Amino acid sequence: MTKPMISPASTATCPACGLLCDDINLSQLNNNTCAKSIAFFGQKSVNASPQIAGKPVTLAQAIAKAAEILKKSKQPLLSGLSTDVTGFRAVFDLAQKTHGSLKHMNAASAQRNLNVLQSTGWQTTTLTEVKNRADVIVCIGTDVVSHNPRFFERNVDCDGMFISAKNRQLIFVGNAPNNDHIKSNALKASWVLPCRADDFPSATGALRALVQNKPLNTPNIGGISLADLTTLADKLKQAKYAVMVWIAKDLDFKFADLTIQNITQTVAALNETTRAGGLALGGSDGDTSANYANTWLSGYALNDSEATHDAVVYINSFSPSKAAPKTNLPLIVLGNCNLQFADQIPDVFIPIATPGLDCSGTLFRVDSSVVLPLKKLHENELPLLADVAKQIEALL
Amino acid sequence: MITHLKNGKLYDPAHNKDGVVEDIYIFQGRIIPKPLDSEKISQTYDLTGKIVMAGAIDMHSHIGGGKVNIARMMLPEFQLKEQQETKNYTEPEAHICTPNCSHNATPSSTDAGFRYIEMGYTAAFEPAILPINARQAHLEMGDTPMIDKGGYAMLGNDDYFLRLLSNKADQKAINDYVAWTLHATQAIGIKVVNPGGISAFKFNQRKLDLDENNVHYQVTPRDILKSLSTAVQQLGIAKPLHVHCNNLGTPGNFQTTLDTMGASEGVPMHLTHIQFHSYGTEGDKKFSSAAAQIAESINKNKHITTDVGQILFGQTVTASGDNMVQFLNAKHANPKKSVIMDIECDAGCGVVPFKYKDKNYVNALQWAIGLELFLSVEDPWRIFLTTDHPNGAPFTSYPHLIRLLMDKSFRNDAFSKLNLDAQAMSNLTSLNREYSLYEIAIMTRAGAAKLIGLNDRGHLGVGAGADITVYTEQADHEAMFAKPDYVFKDGELVVKDGKVVKVVWGATHTAKPAFDIGVEKGLKSYFEQYHTIQMDNFKIANDELTEDGRGRIIVHNNTHQKEQS
Repeated sequence: MTKPMISPASTATCPACGLLCDDINLSQLNNNTCAKSIAFFGQKSVNASPQIAGKPVTLAQAIAKAAEILKKSKQPLLSGLSTDVTGFRAVFDLAQKTHGSLKHMNAASAQRNLNVLQSTGWQTTTLTEVKNRADVIVCIGTDVVSHNPRFFERNVDCDGMFISAKNRQLIFVGNAPNNDHIKSNALKASWVLPCRADDFPSATGALRALVQNKPLNTPNIGGISLADLTTLADKLKQAKYAVMVWIAKDLDFKFADLTIQNITQTVAALNETTRAGGLALGGSDGDTSANYANTWLSGYALNDSEATHDAVVYINSFSPSKAAPKTNLPLIVLGNCNLQFADQIPDVFIPIATPGLDCSGTLFRVDSSVVLPLKKLHENELPLLADVAKQIEALL
Repeated sequence: MITHLKNGKLYDPAHNKDGVVEDIYIFQGRIIPKPLDSEKISQTYDLTGKIVMAGAIDMHSHIGGGKVNIARMMLPEFQLKEQQETKNYTEPEAHICTPNCSHNATPSSTDAGFRYIEMGYTAAFEPAILPINARQAHLEMGDTPMIDKGGYAMLGNDDYFLRLLSNKADQKAINDYVAWTLHATQAIGIKVVNPGGISAFKFNQRKLDLDENNVHYQVTPRDILKSLSTAVQQLGIAKPLHVHCNNLGTPGNFQTTLDTMGASEGVPMHLTHIQFHSYGTEGDKKFSSAAAQIAESINKNKHITTDVGQILFGQTVTASGDNMVQFLNAKHANPKKSVIMDIECDAGCGVVPFKYKDKNYVNALQWAIGLELFLSVEDPWRIFLTTDHPNGAPFTSYPHLIRLLMDKSFRNDAFSKLNLDAQAMSNLTSLNREYSLYEIAIMTRAGAAKLIGLNDRGHLGVGAGADITVYTEQADHEAMFAKPDYVFKDGELVVKDGKVVKVVWGATHTAKPAFDIGVEKGLKSYFEQYHTIQMDNFKIANDELTEDGRGRIIVHNNTHQKEQS
């Protein structure tokens, strides 16, 4: 049913996490070290039929039914928003037309970072700077690889322009990480300062104080000895280019934004005398793309607030395992052709093309400065989200 | 279908027309000679008593690219709900405003296009496209309706270039890399920001003078300026190297600026937002105007062009590639927050909100310095009207700025309300010059088009693209320039009485000089070894700008242009 389009010599770009690795050799997918990537490119693009209440219908019928629901709705919620820039632009227009509100599936964790950005701002860096400059990398509250499996392989466990892999120090504050992806012995022996999630606020607060040269007067903070925290602060201060990594999704507790702010203010204090950068990783399902595009289109960042609504449009191009949140309201799903419906049969389901697989696309990387094209890998008949959204809009 | 603009008073400096009453005929988006009597005129606009100029061109405005988007994200307070004029987006023909309409420093991409065209501007150029971020710049500009756009790609702090320079690569290798960058980023010019300084900051240098070495590469800003300005000249692109000098904002930086003018050894350079680079250290506060010295030097150095980067009082946000300087400015942020970034061994950025206050000594003097420069640089073909949007002020304040230039008593009244110590340190009231409409048309139309190399824009001659603005002459030139009677974009009436009546999408202007594709050999291995993306994904294909059916790419060179679609 599907025929390949990409030449064996060229590489594909992977949207399965925020890193957007663009070195994916599809003819040697088994050599890929990333399970997320293998799963993404291993998806079968079936030409699934659109459905109304679980029954197959034509695309035109499904679009008409979706328009009928949205016509009755005074204010729908357009959620999920797992798509690329092109798809988001069309969804944004549909939201304007229907007076709808927009909320990404990663809104809760994205809001933690946004709170810090809108309160103090931050000083950050990007992947290529990490690869070529970072000599001390501190990961706080995350193993990184659960979200971004190839982060260390591609950016840390390699020689850069100004630093070699063996001269880097890798430090974790939190649980001991899974080091399977790291080849270099020097990095495998990374230093771990065990810390429970409950203790991140106090541990990061203490680290911030130490880096700001404020004396602390307690033998241990958040389960970490003052001596260890002082050593960590000294390593950061002595670094030529320290990088502090966090993943908002892993900092899932009340007021986690204040912990993130402790991290970013530690970076700011370091930059008074040496160089350092923060790096918020994670990211997937087009969250950075939706947020950035929404920001230039509307003037505002996407946030985690949820307006009162009377219908739900759930958009999910990338992740078949992420079903729509359960709702009693009319539900329209524009989604990946392999999307499963365990809890709830949507009123309308329109399978759409997945950017980077069934169609080309454009996606922001998690560090936000790099935008990459996604390739269409094979021919099939799945419609584009933008076309479906425009056709629905035309009927309103 | 021929449109006839009848009896307008033309200010068209490219053709030495200073208020000449003439007719204009438009056919298929272009100005044509007077048609034969037998040809049918479909529409006639009687412009008797009206002022007619080409559409204005903003040669330096941060309308696309990551920095202003970060500002939007960081500063939701700029877009307070009560300031919004809620209008129906789905019928833009009936309205001027979108649902999130804003008149502030960080308009949405839609509002930016609307606000520009409402003032009679038909093109704007993003002056600081990080090559690695160029795709975002074009996405944002692609969502900016009404106007033509384009941008300058930033080089001179990227590690690839600095390696070439420190390894003493020959000029041809530099030229090939510069040309390759123009192609890859779909830009029309090259900019350098704090030459070598953004890179130096990554090595923990905190300032860099013109003849000071970048500690790692052992090359100076002067070396960088010489190399890049020569490349731009030898490649034959019209737009001279766009230079944001070292030491922006630092008291005493005028000496760096004066010395920078000599760095290219006579090769054309454009020194941008020069107001921020014209500061002395005289007086009790060790901050003074060096506008007179700078203007005198510009008047002498015919290879130098400049734009002012005027500040105007009020809330704005500064967004710059110069993170070395913005890191220091972050201490003066208002509201108190900022973003400083190192980006991809390519460049950096710093976004710092700022409120210019007329009672503040430094801000008041900055305001005066900008105007002193405008009034002291003699040749309007070599100085351009900018606020470095949004750094000095939002571009929506241009009509106010034009009135300050054209109306001496208005200007002196404004001056008399400033911080008294600042007044004592400025010679502004002794400058009697008042810009004429003809000179304004040079600065904002003919001169800007000539500088960038837009041969068929910025004038009203036969063959020009019919981007035309029509005003009613008023004593209050702020009111006049804020609200044109008509704006035509490529021959279509798009604004009537200051309101958008039709939504159109402009083209993207680019320059694509020839180069030796062999340059990709070194680049490819550099990307593989040091970058985190592949070289092929760095390059922006034409389709990416045009496939939505709205965008068009126009390629310029010195002698001709062609359209790619």
